[in-house]
Amino acid sequence: MNKFKSLIRYTSKYKFRYLIGITFLLLIDLIQLIPPKLIGYLTDLLSKGNATKAHLIKYISLIVLISFSMAIGRYIWRIYIFGSARLVEFDMRNKLFQHLQKLSQNFYNQHKTGDLMALATNDLNAVRMTLGQGIIMITDAIVLTITTLSIMLSINVKLTLISLIPLPFVALVATKFGKIIHNKFLKVQESFSKLTDIVQENFSGIRIIKSFVQEEKEYIKFTKENQHNYETNMELVKIWGMFFPLVEFIASLSFVFLTGVGGTYVIYGYISLGDFIAFNMYIGTLVWPMMAFGWVINIIQRGLASLERIENILHQKPDVFDNDVKDLKYLNGDISIKNLTFKYPDTESPALENINLTVKEGQTLGIIGKTGSGKSTLVNLLLRLYNVNDNTIFIGGIDINRIPLKILRESIGFVPQDSFLFSTTITENINLPLEQLDMAEIIESTKAADIYDNILNFKDGFDTIVGERGVTLSGGQKQRISIARTLIKNPKILIFDDCLSAVDAKTEVNILSNLKNIMKEKTSIIISHRISAVKDADLIVVLDDGKIVEMGLHSQLIEMNGIYKSIFDKQQIEEKIQSEEV
Amino acid sequence: MENFQMEEAVVKEYDSKLMRRLLTFTKPYLSSFGLVIIIMFVLTIADLYIPKLVKDVIDNNINGYTRDYSILKSYSPESWKIGDLYIKEGNIKNAVKASIVYSDNAYYLVEGRVNHKEPYKFVGDKLLQGKNIFKSYKIKPSEIKEVRRSDAKGVLNKTMLMLFLSILVFLLGYIQVYLISKTGQKIIFDIRQKLFRHVEDLSLSFFDSNPVGRLVTRITNDVETLNEMYTSVLLNLIKDAFLIIFILVAMFLLNVKLALITLFVIPVITAAIIIFKRYDREAYRDVRVKLARINAFLSENISGMKIVQIFAKEEKKYKEFANINREYFDASYHQLQIIAIFRPFIDLVYSLALAALLWFGGIRVINNNLTFGILFAFVSYLQKFFQPINDISEKYDILQSSMASSERIFMLLDKDERIKNPDNPVSIETLKGEIEFKNVWFAYKENDWVLKDVSFKINPGEKVAFVGATGAGKTSIISLISRFYDIQKGEILIDGINIKNMNKEDLRKNVATVLQDVFLFTGDIKGNIRLNNDEISDETIISAARYVNADKFIEKLPDKYDSYVNERGTTFSQGERQLIAFARAIAFNPPILVLDEATANIDTETESLIQDALEKITENRTTIIVAHRLSTIKKADKIIVLHKGKIRETGTHEELLKREGLYYNLYQLQYKDLA
Repeated sequence: MNKFKSLIRYTSKYKFRYLIGITFLLLIDLIQLIPPKLIGYLTDLLSKGNATKAHLIKYISLIVLISFSMAIGRYIWRIYIFGSARLVEFDMRNKLFQHLQKLSQNFYNQHKTGDLMALATNDLNAVRMTLGQGIIMITDAIVLTITTLSIMLSINVKLTLISLIPLPFVALVATKFGKIIHNKFLKVQESFSKLTDIVQENFSGIRIIKSFVQEEKEYIKFTKENQHNYETNMELVKIWGMFFPLVEFIASLSFVFLTGVGGTYVIYGYISLGDFIAFNMYIGTLVWPMMAFGWVINIIQRGLASLERIENILHQKPDVFDNDVKDLKYLNGDISIKNLTFKYPDTESPALENINLTVKEGQTLGIIGKTGSGKSTLVNLLLRLYNVNDNTIFIGGIDINRIPLKILRESIGFVPQDSFLFSTTITENINLPLEQLDMAEIIESTKAADIYDNILNFKDGFDTIVGERGVTLSGGQKQRISIARTLIKNPKILIFDDCLSAVDAKTEVNILSNLKNIMKEKTSIIISHRISAVKDADLIVVLDDGKIVEMGLHSQLIEMNGIYKSIFDKQQIEEKIQSEEV
Repeated sequence: MENFQMEEAVVKEYDSKLMRRLLTFTKPYLSSFGLVIIIMFVLTIADLYIPKLVKDVIDNNINGYTRDYSILKSYSPESWKIGDLYIKEGNIKNAVKASIVYSDNAYYLVEGRVNHKEPYKFVGDKLLQGKNIFKSYKIKPSEIKEVRRSDAKGVLNKTMLMLFLSILVFLLGYIQVYLISKTGQKIIFDIRQKLFRHVEDLSLSFFDSNPVGRLVTRITNDVETLNEMYTSVLLNLIKDAFLIIFILVAMFLLNVKLALITLFVIPVITAAIIIFKRYDREAYRDVRVKLARINAFLSENISGMKIVQIFAKEEKKYKEFANINREYFDASYHQLQIIAIFRPFIDLVYSLALAALLWFGGIRVINNNLTFGILFAFVSYLQKFFQPINDISEKYDILQSSMASSERIFMLLDKDERIKNPDNPVSIETLKGEIEFKNVWFAYKENDWVLKDVSFKINPGEKVAFVGATGAGKTSIISLISRFYDIQKGEILIDGINIKNMNKEDLRKNVATVLQDVFLFTGDIKGNIRLNNDEISDETIISAARYVNADKFIEKLPDKYDSYVNERGTTFSQGERQLIAFARAIAFNPPILVLDEATANIDTETESLIQDALEKITENRTTIIVAHRLSTIKKADKIIVLHKGKIRETGTHEELLKREGLYYNLYQLQYKDLA
């Protein structure tokens, strides 16, 4: 019942539209009953030989008139009821997306993209079905049943009861079968995805399969799954295939009863032939609402289940949100981290332990460390993608937890490791941070990121669409566009998270020296696995296993002869090998 | 993602070449198709005979009182007593002619011949028709029951026949649906088998250039689309055609003129439906495209949510989303409008058709040119006429999408990238394991040489390590030994036989491969060691696992060798996976082993297990290792140093170190710390 209430809450904005729709639906349901009656009268007249052309004209023009008003009425209720359902769907989808935007990384680590997408499409569809089809079916079914039944009863009680005996079974069959069919259908989906899995696995592991000459055996395995898929489908067919013939059969039983009993009644003079014909039509009218009763139960059940899933997400509270924040418009670029220890939720050991460092505006901080040493975690925290304790991170001298999220993130320009681009034009991608488009700024930022010439080489230049639908960019191109995107934002703090891994060391150094001017007035953090990228930094930090193990200037760290030095040496040799000619 | 894009692709029009090819798959099932057609035939007749029965009930039984009667003065056989009179059916000489009429829920016996087709009225007990005045007697219900007993019996008989036909229609209807679906399912089963086998046979270079996801979609979703083509299009088209023809025949048999009038209605209905379908199809396509956009946007923005949040651009992206959502709403609202106009419109056309039929039919009934029952049957037939026309236009959509799918499927079936076996292969059983590369040139892509003039020879039982920087061509050499790719120039000989002269299956049976990232299949441990090969017994598996030290961790698992392995075996560490792969190699026991050592750090305990296992499995086996571990290299009989596709140095560890060349540098970089 609670679920019903929340369903109604979503529709309340459109209650007048629903009211109009349902009114017309009721009206049409009532008018719909007239033509059979008219045809019944006409039948009586015709069969008695009492009919004249005038009668024909009168009744037929009435039928035509009613048909026209029915067409208009049907148009109206369709537009109003289905239209409202679509409006609710539209609102809910917006709401859902807006809510998803608020949820933090933790949430996205726990939910699959596909599942969230299904909510915004499949589940919303199910809700819309309930609000459109469901409402119509239920109204239709109730009204048609009551009115048709009362008219039939007024003609002949006994005949009504006899000929209607089979019809409730239609509803029963529709409900029961609906459920069974749905379950079997889920089974079919399951076996289909199993089949998909096995094909997927086979093709992914094709190398091993070929190596061990397992093609034949795998073919047999596939055959088994294919056979299973066939069988599950047939299980569904067995039930599904019976549904309509069975409903038709039950309905035709009503006609059989009517013909047998009703025919005799006419013969004995209990009812007229016209009544008989009208009965025939009314039974036809009743079959649909009976089926509707059965279906509507399933539709509503599914809709409510979907609504529950959607609401579960809507009720998720974001982890990171503004709480007791200062009213700030501006941040300066000083960063200081004090005794920061951080542990991801659901993990045992801390990802960062007792981090202390200070960077002043205009300075550059270099961070070096192995994969998993905590480099990315550190910058994720600076962006407040996860919550930290109070008094651990200060930006512009203010505790990060007291800075409004929007101000914080607008002040930081972050170039992530995986340069995620949207499948739209290069211009749009770079212009992400800005509301207005200024081509001059875009060009400037691409020049700084050393990608300008590259872009001009594309057929569509800046209008080139990137991603699956357009040009596939190389890793290095993507990374540089991602840098341009950050530069155009002109933030106080710049963070490069190993964002030039896909270009060679020389290009990386080139780009970084291009950026020197820009970085002068900003605080910069460069995370890299290459010494060459960080060696000019004002402070270099070596992270290992979440701890700062070495810290200082390049020259100091070399002297220290520790991890930093060994990385440096290795990279020297690497360069040497790379430069060897064949 | 790919699915969404496909929706946007222009749907292919009907193509008779594709259709012919699709039809070849029906060949094994022609007899089922024949049976279905016969059932359809019977079914349609039975289905259409029921309205005719109702018509007979009305005309012959219910209106049976309109026969001629005679009034007898006294009892005679087969006569009924009505009040003081006796009546008998038919015209009896010298008897008073009589009729029975029905008015206001009562029957009257009328002296004289009443014309049932003309209007009459009662004044007192007199019946007035035109200029005639007839005397009438009200018949008691008990009396009329006697008079009309045979009519009632007729009704009952016909009702029984109706019941029988209904049951027949139900059973045949079910059998028909079942058979059609079964045939369709079988056909797509066959297509899947064929497609899977075909793809599995294609060479690795094909797999390199085709994303797995796309290939999977061909076998799953695209074939699924064809199912509808075979089940609902092919046979239903026949059924619908049947239905239309039968209805037409039935109507013409009943009344030619009325049938002709009805025929005028049909083009109107058909036109209305065709026009509607065209608009609806376009609108629907638009809805799908917009929905695909929502999906694409969601998929992208959910996976890129971090970027949006980092840039604090939620507002901007929300606006974009709301726009796309609005576009989808507009498209679906447009479709709704089309449906909201056309559905009632088609109902209206039907009502108008009904009105026309009633008008023309009614006039004929009034003029006595038509019985009422026939008119009633026509009304039923008109109703049945709508369905097949509606169906046919619906099928057209399915036909279109199946055309697009079948084109993609056939394109894949026509791919012939495979490593071909020689016509007269050299028969080989177990090889000794002597491997020789003679001036081998190899490129994945034309002229982009990965191996340049590589020559080396490995003696049976020798252990050779390949080292070099990333991209030096080490992995390619491994692939070439199993002939996963064909080389462009040179020769690869095993035991002195060019591998191109062997069956590739025979060759591969002699080579065990352990890849860097061990691929495990969903299933259990046993299955991953024996890989479907039933000849490998459980005992062999266990002893193989024990031999390579894999039993240590396997025994700790709850179900030991039957423990579940999930997709790609992610619950096992890389070291454990490597050990399973070793066990696999031992269980198959071939004379040649190729091994791409894992680069990742493996915990010291597992590492020592691996090293120990490695020593055992390379014993008496020609072994080629792409080495990443110093200990492995040190134990090798020979080290071959590759650089940018060429062999630069060959020798043992000590020899090469002394030379202080490329190997020396590589050693400094990659292996020194790992010692």
